[in-house]
Amino acid sequence: MSDRPAAGGPEVAVTGIGLVTPAGLGVRENWQRVTAGEATAATDPAFAGLLTDISCRVPGFDAARELGKRKAWRLDRYTQLALVAAKEALADAGLTPGDWDGPRVGVVIGNALGGTATFEEQVRNLVVDGAQTVSPMLVPMAAANMVSGYVAMEFGALGPNLVTATACASGATALGVARDLLRSGACDVVIAGGTESSLSPAIVSAFARMGALSRRNDAPEAASRPFDAGRDGFVLAEAAAILVLERPDHARARGARVRARLAGYGASADAHHATAPDPQGAGAERAIRAALADASLTPDDIDHVNAHGTSTALNDVIEAKVVERVFGQRPAVTSTKGVTGHSLGAAGAVEAAYTVLALENGVVPPTANLDSLDPEVSVDVVSKAPRHLRMKAALSNSFAFGGQNAVLVFTTP
Amino acid sequence: MDSQTAGIVELLVERFGVEADEVQDDSRMRDLDLDSLALVEFGLAVEQQFQVKVSEDEIGPDNTVQDVVRLIDAKLAGDPR
Repeated sequence: MSDRPAAGGPEVAVTGIGLVTPAGLGVRENWQRVTAGEATAATDPAFAGLLTDISCRVPGFDAARELGKRKAWRLDRYTQLALVAAKEALADAGLTPGDWDGPRVGVVIGNALGGTATFEEQVRNLVVDGAQTVSPMLVPMAAANMVSGYVAMEFGALGPNLVTATACASGATALGVARDLLRSGACDVVIAGGTESSLSPAIVSAFARMGALSRRNDAPEAASRPFDAGRDGFVLAEAAAILVLERPDHARARGARVRARLAGYGASADAHHATAPDPQGAGAERAIRAALADASLTPDDIDHVNAHGTSTALNDVIEAKVVERVFGQRPAVTSTKGVTGHSLGAAGAVEAAYTVLALENGVVPPTANLDSLDPEVSVDVVSKAPRHLRMKAALSNSFAFGGQNAVLVFTTP
Repeated sequence: MDSQTAGIVELLVERFGVEADEVQDDSRMRDLDLDSLALVEFGLAVEQQFQVKVSEDEIGPDNTVQDVVRLIDAKLAGDPR
């Protein structure tokens, strides 16, 4: 009989965090900027002449410096960001790569679109200069699974290795799947999270043509404004967030600091429409209730909700109604996308990290640019200044195109 | 350093993440971390920079910078090898 707990066993430990986002390089810079509620959206010279010319980019990211020149040129930026975030997360967890039981270390990283910049560049080569000029590096750079493969190569993680693709919920789904790998006993440690760097011309143009993006090109810092009456779409962002998740017994045995516990994960499908959420938010509500049940918590136990809060007309109202229906006015709600923009497949992991930091610090970050709450929103959305609050449990929502929903519940250790 | 060699070094530095001072005449492609995929990319870059035709088996991991320069020189001289 194995001494590993059966499925449905205890929650898993979060022992490390790494963040590479528009709010900064590293957890410290991120938390400063996010609690300050200072938006990061800016005019993007690379988008000049496109339908939108604003974005949220990671400032001062130098892949050659972080990873070495010989490695950096072979990697699409979506992988570069994740490798740097993973390095920080492992150091934070006090884990020395290689100095572990490799086959017991898994990697699960979500992303929505893979290396779109590489892909678009090579399509241009094909069309303009001919097939002979297409790079043989295209597939290993751009394929969406490669990031987890490169993380395994970099750190010697020899266990289960995969990518989750649930669009804007990918990062949250990855953490949920990682949790399951720990619960089932397949892994002791999982390097999990999300990454995205799809700030490429075709992708930004496509989102703009869908009407999903804010058109505040003249005032980029005010463009991402979740739950505000004047919101008009999201701002496309790049980011990576990696969490080290660990079986509690494994963390305890090595004396690791447990930052929080991942206590619940719930997932669902709207089965409604390609891009529009279910008008009643039925799928979102099912995922939230599943996550609560999984954590053996009731709605009254949840002190804080990090909302999906994209700053689109539809999402924010429907999500607010669902949150109100499940929780009433109790939890302090925020959307950190006001600061970071929307990093698609990374967002769920970025926001999971912020949720852990909120619990740990007893601080709910404000929703940036929330000047005038949408009258249809009647939950307690934190705005203007961070709110100090003693918390035991918090929840992070991620809802995706395709109707894929993933919700995570974190508790204090 | 002749102009052909300088061109190759520049290519390696600009596109393949190699530092200029790491490249010697006798540096092998594998020493510079150019694996088989990178060599296909490198062959294409050489073609574009020097306006010569390079087939995929002409530059291998054990070829040196000097080998590549000789290859280009021969091609430019019309050697039909």
